[in-house]
Amino acid sequence: MHLSALLSLPASLAFLTFTLASASPHSYTEHLHLLPLPQSHLHAHFNFTATTPLSAYESSHFRYFPRSLAQILQHTRTKELHLRFTTGRWDDEAWGARPLDGTREGGTGVELWAWVDGEGSTTVAKERWSELVNSLSGLFCASLNFIDSTKTVRPVRTFEPEGHHGNAKGGLQLLHGMLPHEVVCTENLTPFLKLLPCKGKAGISTLLDGHKLFDATWQSMAIDVRPVCEGKAGEECVLEIQQSVSMALSIPRSMRERHDPIPRPARIEDVECDESKPWNGHDTCFPKALTGEPAWTLSKVFGHAAKGACDLERDDQAFDVTLEVPSDRPVNATGASELTFPSTTRRHYRLSASSSFDLSLPAHSTPLGQNSPPSPPLYATRQIAGHGQERGSMHTTLRNPHAHPLTLVYMETLPWYQRPYMHTLRLANGKQEKMYYTPALDRKRGTHLELVLTIPAESTATLTYDFEKAVLRYTEYPPDANRGFDVAPAVIRILANNESPQFAGSYVRTTSLLLSLPTPDFSMPYNVIILTSTVIALGFGSLFNLLTRSFVLAEEVPPSPLAGVVRRMRDLVKGLLGKNGDVAKDEESSEVKDGKTAEISRYMREETKGKANGIANGDADLRDRRARGSP
Amino acid sequence: MALSARLLALRGSPFLYKLPPYLSALCVLVGIGWILLLPLNEYSRQTYVSENAILPGQVHTYFGGSEHNIFRAFRQEVYALSQQPEDARQAGILKILADSGLKTASQPYAYQVAGESINGTNVYGIVQGPRADATEAMILLAAWRNFDDQINYSGVALALTLARYFSRWSIWSKDIILLIPSDSTYGPLAWVDAYHSISIPPTSSRNISALPLKAGALQAAVALDYPAGPWGQRFSSLDILYDGLNGALPNLDLLNTAVSIASGQMGIACTLHDHATHSDSYRDRLSVLASGLATQSLGHATGPHSAFIPYHVDAITLKTVGDGWHDEMSLGRVTESVFRSINNLLEHLHQSFFFYILLNANRFVSVGNYLPAAMVLAGSFTTSALGLWVLSGRDDVLVAPLAGGLAKQKVEMETVKLGGDMALVPKRSVQTIERELFVPALLLLGVHILGYIPLWLMTSLNRETLALGLHLTTAVSLILPISLATTIRLTRSQAQILQSLSLILLGALLATLATLNFSLALVIGLLASPLAFVRRSSSSLLTAAQALSLAITSPPVAVYAFQRVFYPAAGLEKLLLELAKGWSAQGVWLLWVAWGVWWPAWVVGGVVVGSGVMSARR
Repeated sequence: MHLSALLSLPASLAFLTFTLASASPHSYTEHLHLLPLPQSHLHAHFNFTATTPLSAYESSHFRYFPRSLAQILQHTRTKELHLRFTTGRWDDEAWGARPLDGTREGGTGVELWAWVDGEGSTTVAKERWSELVNSLSGLFCASLNFIDSTKTVRPVRTFEPEGHHGNAKGGLQLLHGMLPHEVVCTENLTPFLKLLPCKGKAGISTLLDGHKLFDATWQSMAIDVRPVCEGKAGEECVLEIQQSVSMALSIPRSMRERHDPIPRPARIEDVECDESKPWNGHDTCFPKALTGEPAWTLSKVFGHAAKGACDLERDDQAFDVTLEVPSDRPVNATGASELTFPSTTRRHYRLSASSSFDLSLPAHSTPLGQNSPPSPPLYATRQIAGHGQERGSMHTTLRNPHAHPLTLVYMETLPWYQRPYMHTLRLANGKQEKMYYTPALDRKRGTHLELVLTIPAESTATLTYDFEKAVLRYTEYPPDANRGFDVAPAVIRILANNESPQFAGSYVRTTSLLLSLPTPDFSMPYNVIILTSTVIALGFGSLFNLLTRSFVLAEEVPPSPLAGVVRRMRDLVKGLLGKNGDVAKDEESSEVKDGKTAEISRYMREETKGKANGIANGDADLRDRRARGSP
Repeated sequence: MALSARLLALRGSPFLYKLPPYLSALCVLVGIGWILLLPLNEYSRQTYVSENAILPGQVHTYFGGSEHNIFRAFRQEVYALSQQPEDARQAGILKILADSGLKTASQPYAYQVAGESINGTNVYGIVQGPRADATEAMILLAAWRNFDDQINYSGVALALTLARYFSRWSIWSKDIILLIPSDSTYGPLAWVDAYHSISIPPTSSRNISALPLKAGALQAAVALDYPAGPWGQRFSSLDILYDGLNGALPNLDLLNTAVSIASGQMGIACTLHDHATHSDSYRDRLSVLASGLATQSLGHATGPHSAFIPYHVDAITLKTVGDGWHDEMSLGRVTESVFRSINNLLEHLHQSFFFYILLNANRFVSVGNYLPAAMVLAGSFTTSALGLWVLSGRDDVLVAPLAGGLAKQKVEMETVKLGGDMALVPKRSVQTIERELFVPALLLLGVHILGYIPLWLMTSLNRETLALGLHLTTAVSLILPISLATTIRLTRSQAQILQSLSLILLGALLATLATLNFSLALVIGLLASPLAFVRRSSSSLLTAAQALSLAITSPPVAVYAFQRVFYPAAGLEKLLLELAKGWSAQGVWLLWVAWGVWWPAWVVGGVVVGSGVMSARR
């Protein structure tokens, strides 16, 4: 039941896109999908889609498409863009498959990938990518500008363009970057809402409140821009932007009063005690395990009710909110008209422009085991094992719970200071079909590894390799050096194979990791030791020099045997020169270099400068001086 | 100029040849005196929280109210589970954890040491911080059986209540792992070993399963030890245990945080090493210092926290002591506050000291102040070794009268020149006789290799035969030097070379060890200190006295004495078993240092003394 429901979610989105695209090239629609999850969680998926015809886009004529973003895309020739801001973890053990098969979520932190028109040149593409990340950094108040060449990779198999690029596809280049350490926060939500036509002032976007969104157990904000051509002859292609916010809220936590969010111990009257225990009494209470779903209302979960509707351009059949609960469950909706579609599990609501919309559901006890969520294509965990400052090993487990084998692309990007030993790469219980590997270059490029793997039915494959930790220069450490360094999550894409077509195109991401590197002690005593050592070394060096060196006059220096040899050689050369006359200029200058006194070499240097003015003149002068100087 | 001339003239002075033993004695005295100075105010410091992010005791703790009712129920439940078989008990704990919303898993482990098997299962659950990114984790430990082998009823119940309470907060920046091992030593060890490796291949001595569930990098661990039964027991103070394996210590900030929260915020007195009454007098400070040195030098686990420290995971145990007016909620609030403080950390604990000696819960000696004691002690061996090396290169005829006073006979003199300076010295004093190194070096190497035989015996014999093995080792140890001295006839020079090489090795090893485990180096240094003073002597009385002092301070005798003084009740067999477990399961170096470093040096000392008897007989 749930499987079909969740699978039909992308289908309903596609349906929306289709209706909009056909109605008008400039279109805007928004949609909220609510689905209660097991363990008292609620999944909310906000989707805001705007389109603009490509011709209007090229002539900078925008209605719903955000101009600020469009100008960046135009300037950097970005044809397709995917930007993700994610925090928290999706609990796939409890909640099952990821929403929309994981296609609208990213790894922890920020993830960005785009197809840029590089006009056939990698350098141009890189320059445009750099401009893109820097501009987006300003637009979204995120540190996207830290996606430099060391964090950028060019995936081969993991991503496919979602849009229709026609003939231009050949010239496009895919670039991908991740910032696992980026903390997604309200400052990223505000610019996100600003891109919407209603700016979060009306419609479902009024529900997006920083306090609740970032208190979610898992949340992912996504922006996807792609060109869409429906393929009908003569119809113009449109550029589509999908902004989506997907989150899993804990209902008890979200239902707390906003002015007092502290989870104080409940009053004892509110705790459900297990009275079957023999010791149950007035001061002893064994809490009953929570089954089912607590009562919730939309206004409490999101902090306030949805205000009005963002009614821009839509037909009468469009709906704003879908609630996915069994039809026998009582639901109380206010401020909206319920639309009836032939569905047993979904209710659709259409917001009214003048009133605020609220939903309230009473507590519901689901007998355990009845609604098990759809199982995800794959369970993946990734850990760093080992200890110490020198080496470690990476350990990934991929568990296929299904009765058929899975083919997938496993991609990971490692920072350059984590150097994998590829000869230690081992895959147990799986088959490696292909490997795409770009080794790291110190301070220039990170490691990029893509593996095409097949995991047999109902088995767990483990991928392990050892790595070495590089020692950084002390200026390369961040201010919180002892925290460790974040390693970006691995991205897994399920490929289509004959036996498991239903998961093709699903994405699963692992959690990010913390890599501890050898860290110098940056404390004050350390700095003091460094400074004093430097001062002492300088002071000692010069003092030692003064004390141990004996100072004598130049005349007192005994002639060294080498000087005698040099003099004899010189005399020999001089004698030869005297015979050959003044023809060999080169020989002469080299001879002068051997000259004994500093005076001559200084003159020579002046001479080489003077050569530009008049060589003959200078040479004559030099010879003159040499004649005087030699005894 | 004049000074250097005098120094030159000193080359032949009998004073110089006699000096090293006195210097060594001075080193030993300075080393002991140094330790005795440490408890003074001038050499120790008040503890302070160094990491600004910790903010100990700055948060309001909410643990209380209905949580108290739940705690009582959990304590009853834990008691009920304790009456059930092992499997049902684990299943019961796993169910409570799962019902509180934790991800749960378990890990069986088995160790096989000295014919004894240790089996158990680690049960654990993870509170996934709702806003955490899975990169870091902190651990709340409550071993099912505490270090004294009592069932930790209240500790486990409190940990379960706290886990349920913690899972409601959204403030956690790190995951919280609740770990309930079957025992206090080997369970945490197996867990933390498995956490840091991909898989541990089973060996004859251990079989540990891999962990099915992991979180991020471990930041800190706090263990609860509160064995009060189902009807509770109020406590008077908290004893904080901090020693890790092999004498490694947790960051002082973690200890300070716990102490300042418990005593500052909650008003619970904190003690160390079970010193319930601490008047902050010199005597009390010294006794805490001595306890600290003793536990650190043994290097064995002192609680469930010990296993974490070698992995650079700072850990402490909070153990309730006495009968007072603090109840479980106070301990719960201390734990809550400590976890809130650890949660504040942006970086791994690194700011404060890792090397310290505590005098009481808020006074410590830092490494710069105490390290010289062990170094000076190690220096006493090196000094003696250098003196012996010089003597070994000198002629018998010259050295013998020098040892017994100035020679009366006419000595052939020679002038020594250094730059413009000149001095008149006995001719033979500047001549060096050839040192015969081969036999001493081979003997030293052989004795060091022999040291692995008692080490092997003490770690691989069965429980029943361990004591017999020690008796045998003692007998062989006492006979070995004499038999070696009789079979290998060493000349005076060779004996001196042998002792010199042995002492130089001992000095270097102890100095190195002092940087890793200060207390062990200090204790071994003190016990081995007679080795720097024993000499080959032709006087049979002196030889007998030296042999007696060596026999008293021999490694096997030290084991007997240690058992009599510190573990009179446990019996020798139990002590030897614990030592063997320490080596095989916990990886403690103590036995290696005793049999591989101290014992060979002691045997060499015995050979040197014994060779005196031989020379006298000749």
